[in-house]
Amino acid sequence: MELPPLLIQSAVSLAAILALAGLAWWLKLGGAPALDCAEAVRRAAADTQDGFNPVAIACDSQGKSALARDAKGQIMVIKRHGNRFAGRVLGPEAQAHIWRDRGITGVQVDCGEARFGTVFIGTPDANTWADAINRVSVRTDA
Amino acid sequence: MPDFNPTQYAVPLFVVAVLAEMIWAKLRAPDAYEPKDTLVSLSFGLGSTIAGGLLGGFALALMLSAYEWRVVDFGPEWWAVWWAWPLCFVLDDLKYYWVHRAGHRIRWMWAAHVNHHSSQHYNLSTALRQSWTGAFTFGVLFAVPLVLLGFHPAMIAICGGFNLIYQFWIHTEAIKRMPRWFEAVMNTPSHHRVHHAINPRYLDRNYAGVFIIWDRMFGTFEPEVDDEPTRYGIVKQLGSFNLLWSVFHEWLGMLADIWRAPWQHKISYLLREPGWSHDGSRETSEMIRAHWQSRVGQAVAPQATSVADRNPIADSREAF
Repeated sequence: MELPPLLIQSAVSLAAILALAGLAWWLKLGGAPALDCAEAVRRAAADTQDGFNPVAIACDSQGKSALARDAKGQIMVIKRHGNRFAGRVLGPEAQAHIWRDRGITGVQVDCGEARFGTVFIGTPDANTWADAINRVSVRTDA
Repeated sequence: MPDFNPTQYAVPLFVVAVLAEMIWAKLRAPDAYEPKDTLVSLSFGLGSTIAGGLLGGFALALMLSAYEWRVVDFGPEWWAVWWAWPLCFVLDDLKYYWVHRAGHRIRWMWAAHVNHHSSQHYNLSTALRQSWTGAFTFGVLFAVPLVLLGFHPAMIAICGGFNLIYQFWIHTEAIKRMPRWFEAVMNTPSHHRVHHAINPRYLDRNYAGVFIIWDRMFGTFEPEVDDEPTRYGIVKQLGSFNLLWSVFHEWLGMLADIWRAPWQHKISYLLREPGWSHDGSRETSEMIRAHWQSRVGQAVAPQATSVADRNPIADSREAF
Protein backbone atom coordinates (compact mmCIF):
# COMPACT_ATOMS: atom_id res chain seq x y z
CA MET A 1 0.00 0.00 0.00
CA GLU A 2 1.36 3.40 -0.98
CA LEU A 3 0.91 6.14 1.60
CA PRO A 4 -0.13 9.63 0.41
CA PRO A 5 2.84 12.09 0.39
CA LEU A 6 0.96 14.53 2.65
CA LEU A 7 0.55 11.78 5.26
CA ILE A 8 4.24 10.83 5.15
CA GLN A 9 5.30 14.48 5.32
CA SER A 10 2.93 15.08 8.26
CA ALA A 11 4.23 12.05 10.17
CA VAL A 12 7.86 13.11 9.73
CA SER A 13 6.99 16.71 10.71
CA LEU A 14 5.16 15.49 13.81
CA ALA A 15 8.20 13.47 14.86
CA ALA A 16 10.43 16.54 14.38
CA ILE A 17 7.98 18.72 16.35
CA LEU A 18 7.91 16.34 19.30
CA ALA A 19 11.70 16.02 19.20
CA LEU A 20 12.22 19.81 19.21
CA ALA A 21 9.65 20.45 21.96
CA GLY A 22 11.23 17.61 23.95
CA LEU A 23 14.64 19.16 23.44
CA ALA A 24 13.39 22.53 24.71
CA TRP A 25 12.09 20.76 27.81
CA TRP A 26 15.28 18.71 28.24
CA LEU A 27 17.45 21.83 27.94
CA LYS A 28 15.28 23.36 30.69
CA LEU A 29 14.48 26.39 28.55
CA GLY A 30 11.81 28.70 29.82
CA GLY A 31 11.98 29.18 33.55
CA ALA A 32 9.36 30.46 35.94
CA PRO A 33 9.41 34.20 36.64
CA ALA A 34 7.66 35.19 39.85
CA LEU A 35 5.12 37.85 40.71
CA ASP A 36 6.61 38.09 44.16
CA CYS A 37 6.99 41.82 44.70
CA ALA A 38 5.19 45.03 43.91
CA GLU A 39 7.67 45.98 41.19
CA ALA A 40 7.18 42.67 39.35
CA VAL A 41 3.40 43.12 39.46
CA ARG A 42 3.67 46.73 38.29
CA ARG A 43 5.71 45.66 35.26
CA ALA A 44 3.34 42.81 34.43
CA ALA A 45 0.29 45.06 34.83
CA ALA A 46 1.76 47.75 32.56
CA ASP A 47 2.63 45.05 30.01
CA THR A 48 -0.94 43.75 30.11
CA GLN A 49 -2.52 47.16 29.64
CA ASP A 50 -0.40 50.12 28.72
CA GLY A 51 -0.59 52.80 31.40
CA PHE A 52 -2.15 50.59 34.08
CA ASN A 53 -0.71 51.99 37.29
CA PRO A 54 -1.56 49.95 40.40
CA VAL A 55 -2.27 51.64 43.71
CA ALA A 56 -2.97 48.35 45.50
CA ILE A 57 -1.36 44.98 44.87
CA ALA A 58 -1.73 41.43 46.16
CA CYS A 59 0.94 38.87 45.27
CA ASP A 60 0.25 35.18 45.43
CA SER A 61 2.27 33.52 48.19
CA GLN A 62 3.96 31.30 45.58
CA GLY A 63 4.46 34.14 43.08
CA LYS A 64 2.30 32.51 40.41
CA SER A 65 -0.35 35.22 40.19
CA ALA A 66 -1.35 38.64 41.42
CA LEU A 67 -4.12 41.18 41.69
CA ALA A 68 -3.71 44.89 41.05
CA ARG A 69 -6.11 47.81 41.44
CA ASP A 70 -5.58 51.22 39.88
CA ALA A 71 -6.76 54.64 41.02
CA LYS A 72 -9.87 54.37 38.84
CA GLY A 73 -10.92 51.21 40.67
CA GLN A 74 -10.13 48.85 37.80
CA ILE A 75 -8.94 45.47 39.01
CA MET A 76 -6.55 43.32 37.01
CA VAL A 77 -5.81 39.66 37.56
CA ILE A 78 -2.44 38.44 36.32
CA LYS A 79 -1.21 34.88 36.05
CA ARG A 80 2.00 33.21 35.00
CA HIS A 81 1.58 31.73 31.56
CA GLY A 82 4.55 29.59 30.63
CA ASN A 83 7.46 31.89 31.38
CA ARG A 84 5.50 35.03 30.59
CA PHE A 85 2.46 36.68 32.19
CA ALA A 86 -1.07 37.16 30.95
CA GLY A 87 -3.73 39.29 32.56
CA ARG A 88 -7.26 40.60 32.32
CA VAL A 89 -8.93 43.74 33.57
CA LEU A 90 -11.98 42.35 35.32
CA GLY A 91 -15.41 43.19 34.01
CA PRO A 92 -19.02 42.36 34.83
CA GLU A 93 -18.57 38.62 34.21
CA ALA A 94 -15.83 38.33 36.82
CA GLN A 95 -16.47 36.41 40.02
CA ALA A 96 -14.36 35.86 43.09
CA HIS A 97 -14.61 33.26 45.84
CA ILE A 98 -12.67 32.69 49.01
CA TRP A 99 -10.57 29.58 48.98
CA ARG A 100 -8.81 27.85 51.84
CA ASP A 101 -6.41 24.94 51.62
CA ARG A 102 -3.92 23.59 54.14
CA GLY A 103 -3.80 26.77 56.15
CA ILE A 104 -3.51 29.06 53.14
CA THR A 105 -6.29 31.50 52.39
CA GLY A 106 -6.73 32.95 48.97
CA VAL A 107 -9.07 34.32 46.41
CA GLN A 108 -10.17 32.34 43.38
CA VAL A 109 -10.87 34.59 40.41
CA ASP A 110 -12.90 33.66 37.37
CA CYS A 111 -12.59 36.48 34.82
CA GLY A 112 -15.49 35.14 32.77
CA GLU A 113 -13.37 33.66 29.99
CA ALA A 114 -13.36 29.89 30.25
CA ARG A 115 -10.15 29.50 28.26
CA PHE A 116 -8.24 32.00 30.40
CA GLY A 117 -8.97 29.74 33.33
CA THR A 118 -9.52 30.30 37.03
CA VAL A 119 -6.70 32.08 38.84
CA PHE A 120 -5.81 31.45 42.48
CA ILE A 121 -4.09 34.12 44.50
CA GLY A 122 -2.98 33.09 47.96
CA THR A 123 -3.14 36.25 50.03
CA PRO A 124 -4.17 37.17 53.58
CA ASP A 125 -6.31 39.99 52.10
CA ALA A 126 -8.49 37.53 50.22
CA ASN A 127 -11.78 38.80 51.66
CA THR A 128 -11.09 42.39 50.76
CA TRP A 129 -10.12 41.52 47.19
CA ALA A 130 -13.03 39.13 46.70
CA ASP A 131 -15.48 41.81 47.84
CA ALA A 132 -13.88 44.37 45.54
CA ILE A 133 -14.01 42.04 42.54
CA ASN A 134 -17.61 41.07 43.15
CA ARG A 135 -18.50 44.74 43.52
CA VAL A 136 -17.15 45.32 39.98
CA SER A 137 -19.85 43.09 38.53
CA VAL A 138 -22.57 44.61 40.71
CA ARG A 139 -21.42 48.14 39.87
CA THR A 140 -21.23 47.41 36.15
CA ASP A 141 -24.59 45.64 36.12
CA ALA A 142 -26.33 48.52 37.89
CA MET B 1 4.29 23.29 -15.64
CA PRO B 2 7.05 22.82 -13.03
CA ASP B 3 5.91 21.00 -9.91
CA PHE B 4 8.20 22.53 -7.30
CA ASN B 5 7.50 23.63 -3.74
CA PRO B 6 10.59 25.33 -2.25
CA THR B 7 9.25 25.30 1.31
CA GLN B 8 9.16 21.49 1.31
CA TYR B 9 12.89 21.41 0.64
CA ALA B 10 13.51 24.03 3.33
CA VAL B 11 11.87 22.06 6.16
CA PRO B 12 15.09 20.24 7.20
CA LEU B 13 16.84 23.62 7.26
CA PHE B 14 14.08 24.98 9.51
CA VAL B 15 14.50 22.08 11.93
CA VAL B 16 18.28 22.48 12.12
CA ALA B 17 17.99 26.26 12.57
CA VAL B 18 15.47 25.89 15.43
CA LEU B 19 17.82 23.35 17.01
CA ALA B 20 20.74 25.76 16.72
CA GLU B 21 18.71 28.63 18.17
CA MET B 22 17.69 26.47 21.11
CA ILE B 23 21.34 25.77 21.87
CA TRP B 24 22.02 29.51 21.61
CA ALA B 25 19.09 30.10 23.97
CA LYS B 26 20.47 27.60 26.45
CA LEU B 27 23.77 29.47 26.51
CA ARG B 28 22.60 33.08 26.22
CA ALA B 29 18.85 33.53 26.78
CA PRO B 30 17.04 30.54 28.32
CA ASP B 31 13.76 32.47 28.51
CA ALA B 32 13.66 32.91 24.72
CA TYR B 33 11.99 29.51 24.46
CA GLU B 34 9.23 27.86 26.45
CA PRO B 35 8.57 24.17 25.70
CA LYS B 36 4.76 24.39 25.64
CA ASP B 37 4.84 27.48 23.48
CA THR B 38 7.28 25.76 21.12
CA LEU B 39 5.02 22.74 20.88
CA VAL B 40 2.02 24.92 20.03
CA SER B 41 3.94 26.99 17.47
CA LEU B 42 5.32 23.94 15.68
CA SER B 43 1.91 22.26 15.74
CA PHE B 44 0.55 25.35 14.02
CA GLY B 45 3.13 24.76 11.30
CA LEU B 46 2.11 21.16 10.80
CA GLY B 47 -1.61 21.97 10.81
CA SER B 48 -1.05 24.79 8.35
CA THR B 49 0.68 22.43 5.93
CA ILE B 50 -2.18 19.94 6.18
CA ALA B 51 -4.81 22.68 5.82
CA GLY B 52 -2.98 24.03 2.78
CA GLY B 53 -2.92 20.58 1.22
CA LEU B 54 -6.63 20.06 1.87
CA LEU B 55 -7.98 23.55 1.17
CA GLY B 56 -5.46 25.05 -1.27
CA GLY B 57 -7.27 23.66 -4.29
CA PHE B 58 -9.87 26.41 -4.31
CA ALA B 59 -7.25 29.17 -4.47
CA LEU B 60 -5.39 27.32 -7.22
CA ALA B 61 -8.57 26.85 -9.25
CA LEU B 62 -9.41 30.55 -8.89
CA MET B 63 -5.92 31.58 -10.01
CA LEU B 64 -5.94 29.24 -12.98
CA SER B 65 -9.33 30.63 -14.03
CA ALA B 66 -8.04 34.19 -13.73
CA TYR B 67 -4.94 33.19 -15.78
CA GLU B 68 -7.22 32.62 -18.77
CA TRP B 69 -7.88 36.38 -18.74
CA ARG B 70 -4.22 37.48 -18.64
CA VAL B 71 -3.30 40.59 -20.59
CA VAL B 72 0.33 39.58 -21.23
CA ASP B 73 1.22 36.11 -22.46
CA PHE B 74 4.69 34.79 -21.66
CA GLY B 75 4.00 31.82 -23.91
CA PRO B 76 3.71 28.09 -23.25
CA GLU B 77 7.26 28.01 -21.84
CA TRP B 78 6.67 30.90 -19.44
CA TRP B 79 9.12 29.41 -16.94
CA ALA B 80 11.95 29.93 -19.43
CA VAL B 81 11.45 33.73 -19.48
CA TRP B 82 14.25 34.42 -17.00
CA TRP B 83 13.50 38.06 -16.30
CA ALA B 84 9.93 37.26 -15.36
CA TRP B 85 11.15 35.46 -12.21
CA PRO B 86 12.80 38.39 -10.37
CA LEU B 87 9.99 40.67 -11.55
CA CYS B 88 7.40 38.26 -10.22
CA PHE B 89 9.31 37.93 -6.92
CA VAL B 90 9.36 41.70 -6.36
CA LEU B 91 5.71 42.18 -7.36
CA ASP B 92 4.67 39.20 -5.24
CA ASP B 93 6.45 40.82 -2.29
CA LEU B 94 4.52 44.02 -2.95
CA LYS B 95 1.36 41.91 -2.99
CA TYR B 96 2.49 40.31 0.29
CA TYR B 97 2.83 43.75 1.87
CA TRP B 98 -0.78 44.59 1.08
CA VAL B 99 -2.28 41.23 1.95
CA HIS B 100 -0.33 41.33 5.21
CA ARG B 101 -1.50 44.87 5.93
CA ALA B 102 -5.07 43.74 5.28
CA GLY B 103 -4.38 40.82 7.63
CA HIS B 104 -3.86 43.34 10.42
CA ARG B 105 -6.44 45.93 9.48
CA ILE B 106 -9.49 43.86 8.54
CA ARG B 107 -10.83 41.65 11.30
CA TRP B 108 -11.94 38.90 8.91
CA MET B 109 -8.35 38.60 7.71
CA TRP B 110 -6.97 39.08 11.23
CA ALA B 111 -9.05 36.11 12.44
CA ALA B 112 -6.70 33.91 10.41
CA HIS B 113 -3.47 35.88 10.68
CA VAL B 114 -3.65 36.37 14.47
CA ASN B 115 -2.37 32.80 14.78
CA HIS B 116 1.06 33.94 13.68
CA HIS B 117 1.14 36.57 16.42
CA SER B 118 -0.38 34.88 19.45
CA SER B 119 2.89 33.59 20.90
CA GLN B 120 4.43 35.77 23.61
CA HIS B 121 7.82 34.59 22.37
CA TYR B 122 9.79 35.59 19.32
CA ASN B 123 12.02 32.84 18.05
CA LEU B 124 12.41 30.66 14.98
CA SER B 125 9.56 28.40 16.09
CA THR B 126 7.30 31.46 15.93
CA ALA B 127 8.05 31.71 12.21
CA LEU B 128 6.43 28.32 11.71
CA ARG B 129 3.33 29.37 13.61
CA GLN B 130 1.21 29.71 10.50
CA SER B 131 -2.54 29.94 10.14
CA TRP B 132 -4.80 26.98 9.42
CA THR B 133 -7.68 29.12 8.22
CA GLY B 134 -6.23 31.38 5.55
CA ALA B 135 -8.40 29.64 2.96
CA PHE B 136 -11.47 31.10 4.65
CA THR B 137 -10.37 34.68 3.99
CA PHE B 138 -10.19 36.61 0.73
CA GLY B 139 -6.40 36.86 0.79
CA VAL B 140 -6.10 35.00 -2.51
CA LEU B 141 -7.76 37.91 -4.32
CA PHE B 142 -4.64 40.03 -3.75
CA ALA B 143 -2.78 37.71 -6.14
CA VAL B 144 -5.30 38.05 -8.96
CA PRO B 145 -3.73 41.26 -10.41
CA LEU B 146 -0.42 39.40 -10.78
CA VAL B 147 -2.16 36.57 -12.60
CA LEU B 148 -3.97 39.02 -14.86
CA LEU B 149 -0.61 40.63 -15.64
CA GLY B 150 0.43 37.28 -17.05
CA PHE B 151 2.40 35.60 -14.26
CA HIS B 152 1.48 31.93 -14.08
CA PRO B 153 -0.01 30.83 -10.72
CA ALA B 154 2.81 28.30 -10.35
CA MET B 155 5.42 31.04 -10.76
CA ILE B 156 3.63 33.14 -8.14
CA ALA B 157 3.44 30.15 -5.78
CA ILE B 158 7.15 29.40 -6.18
CA CYS B 159 8.07 33.05 -5.58
CA GLY B 160 5.73 33.04 -2.57
CA GLY B 161 7.52 29.96 -1.26
CA PHE B 162 10.91 31.67 -1.45
CA ASN B 163 9.35 34.72 0.19
CA LEU B 164 8.20 32.54 3.10
CA ILE B 165 11.62 30.90 3.39
CA TYR B 166 13.27 34.33 3.55
CA GLN B 167 10.96 35.36 6.37
CA PHE B 168 11.92 32.37 8.50
CA TRP B 169 15.32 33.60 9.67
CA ILE B 170 14.11 37.07 10.70
CA HIS B 171 12.06 35.60 13.55
CA THR B 172 14.86 35.72 16.08
CA GLU B 173 16.22 37.75 18.96
CA ALA B 174 19.66 36.28 18.39
CA ILE B 175 20.56 38.93 15.81
CA LYS B 176 20.48 42.57 16.80
CA ARG B 177 21.12 44.51 13.60
CA MET B 178 22.37 43.69 10.13
CA PRO B 179 24.70 46.07 8.26
CA ARG B 180 23.22 49.47 7.53
CA TRP B 181 22.72 48.95 3.78
CA PHE B 182 20.89 45.69 4.47
CA GLU B 183 18.62 47.25 7.11
CA ALA B 184 17.77 49.99 4.61
CA VAL B 185 16.43 47.66 1.93
CA MET B 186 15.64 44.28 3.40
CA ASN B 187 13.33 43.06 6.12
CA THR B 188 15.49 42.04 9.07
CA PRO B 189 15.14 40.58 12.58
CA SER B 190 15.12 44.12 13.98
CA HIS B 191 12.35 45.33 11.65
CA HIS B 192 10.27 42.23 12.16
CA ARG B 193 10.61 42.28 15.97
CA VAL B 194 8.83 45.62 15.70
CA HIS B 195 6.08 43.96 13.68
CA HIS B 196 5.51 41.26 16.32
CA ALA B 197 5.70 43.66 19.25
CA ILE B 198 2.71 44.97 21.18
CA ASN B 199 4.40 48.04 22.59
CA PRO B 200 2.02 50.86 21.59
CA ARG B 201 4.64 52.56 19.41
CA TYR B 202 5.04 49.37 17.35
CA LEU B 203 1.41 48.30 16.79
CA ASP B 204 0.52 47.71 13.13
CA ARG B 205 3.92 48.59 11.73
CA ASN B 206 6.47 46.93 9.40
CA TYR B 207 4.25 44.70 7.27
CA ALA B 208 7.06 43.87 4.83
CA GLY B 209 7.87 40.35 3.74
CA VAL B 210 11.29 40.55 2.08
CA PHE B 211 11.82 44.22 1.18
CA ILE B 212 11.29 46.79 3.94
CA ILE B 213 11.10 49.50 1.27
CA TRP B 214 7.32 48.97 1.00
CA ASP B 215 6.83 50.14 4.58
CA ARG B 216 9.07 53.12 3.95
CA MET B 217 7.07 53.93 0.80
CA PHE B 218 3.61 53.51 2.29
CA GLY B 219 4.26 55.15 5.67
CA THR B 220 4.12 52.14 7.97
CA PHE B 221 7.82 51.85 8.84
CA GLU B 222 8.87 52.04 12.47
CA PRO B 223 12.48 51.49 13.57
CA GLU B 224 13.29 49.41 16.61
CA VAL B 225 14.40 51.50 19.58
CA ASP B 226 17.10 50.19 21.88
CA ASP B 227 15.92 51.64 25.16
CA GLU B 228 12.53 49.96 25.43
CA PRO B 229 11.97 46.26 26.20
CA THR B 230 10.01 44.60 23.42
CA ARG B 231 6.87 42.67 24.37
CA TYR B 232 5.48 40.14 21.94
CA GLY B 233 2.11 38.59 21.29
CA ILE B 234 -1.31 40.15 20.94
CA VAL B 235 -2.90 43.01 22.83
CA LYS B 236 -5.16 40.59 24.72
CA GLN B 237 -2.79 37.68 25.39
CA LEU B 238 -4.40 34.27 25.11
CA GLY B 239 -3.26 32.93 28.47
CA SER B 240 -3.78 29.41 27.13
CA PHE B 241 -1.69 26.78 25.35
CA ASN B 242 -4.78 25.00 24.02
CA LEU B 243 -4.00 24.48 20.34
CA LEU B 244 -7.57 24.51 19.03
CA TRP B 245 -8.44 27.61 21.05
CA SER B 246 -5.30 29.26 19.72
CA VAL B 247 -6.37 28.44 16.14
CA PHE B 248 -10.01 29.48 16.31
CA HIS B 249 -10.35 32.04 19.13
CA GLU B 250 -10.58 35.11 16.91
CA TRP B 251 -13.04 33.48 14.51
CA LEU B 252 -15.27 32.60 17.46
CA GLY B 253 -14.90 36.07 18.96
CA MET B 254 -15.70 37.75 15.66
CA LEU B 255 -18.72 35.58 14.97
CA ALA B 256 -20.01 36.18 18.51
CA ASP B 257 -19.61 39.93 18.03
CA ILE B 258 -21.46 39.79 14.70
CA TRP B 259 -24.22 37.74 16.29
CA ARG B 260 -24.67 40.15 19.20
CA ALA B 261 -24.24 43.43 17.31
CA PRO B 262 -27.14 45.60 16.15
CA TRP B 263 -27.94 44.99 12.46
CA GLN B 264 -26.37 48.19 11.21
CA HIS B 265 -23.02 47.31 12.82
CA LYS B 266 -22.73 43.61 11.95
CA ILE B 267 -20.70 44.11 8.78
CA SER B 268 -18.30 46.43 10.59
CA TYR B 269 -17.31 43.63 12.96
CA LEU B 270 -16.29 41.70 9.86
CA LEU B 271 -14.55 44.39 7.84
CA ARG B 272 -13.28 47.01 10.27
CA GLU B 273 -10.00 46.86 12.17
CA PRO B 274 -9.45 44.56 15.16
CA GLY B 275 -10.45 46.29 18.39
CA TRP B 276 -13.19 48.33 16.76
CA SER B 277 -16.53 48.24 18.58
CA HIS B 278 -19.76 50.03 17.83
CA ASP B 279 -20.08 51.28 21.43
CA GLY B 280 -16.44 52.31 21.85
CA SER B 281 -15.90 49.78 24.61
CA ARG B 282 -12.68 48.41 23.09
CA GLU B 283 -9.50 49.87 21.75
CA THR B 284 -8.00 49.74 18.27
CA SER B 285 -4.25 50.01 17.78
CA GLU B 286 -4.64 53.71 16.93
CA MET B 287 -6.48 54.33 20.20
CA ILE B 288 -3.84 52.45 22.20
CA ARG B 289 -1.09 54.41 20.49
CA ALA B 290 -2.89 57.73 21.07
CA HIS B 291 -3.32 56.98 24.79
CA TRP B 292 0.33 56.02 25.05
CA GLN B 293 1.43 59.16 23.22
CA SER B 294 -0.60 61.34 25.54
CA ARG B 295 0.97 59.58 28.52
CA VAL B 296 4.66 59.26 27.62
CA GLY B 297 5.33 62.95 28.05
CA GLN B 298 5.70 62.26 31.75
CA ALA B 299 7.20 58.79 31.50
CA VAL B 300 10.80 57.77 32.03
CA ALA B 301 12.25 55.51 29.32
CA PRO B 302 12.96 52.04 30.71
CA GLN B 303 16.38 50.42 30.61
CA ALA B 304 17.43 48.31 27.66
CA THR B 305 16.83 44.62 28.30
CA SER B 306 16.76 43.31 24.75
CA VAL B 307 18.14 39.83 24.33
CA ALA B 308 19.52 41.01 21.00
CA ASP B 309 21.74 43.53 22.79
CA ARG B 310 24.04 40.61 23.49
CA ASN B 311 24.31 39.69 19.84
CA PRO B 312 25.34 42.60 17.67
CA ILE B 313 26.20 41.70 14.09
CA ALA B 314 26.67 45.29 13.06
CA ASP B 315 27.81 47.98 15.42
CA SER B 316 24.77 49.89 16.65
CA ARG B 317 26.29 53.10 15.25
CA GLU B 318 26.06 51.60 11.81
CA ALA B 319 22.41 50.73 12.07
CA PHE B 320 19.35 52.92 11.96
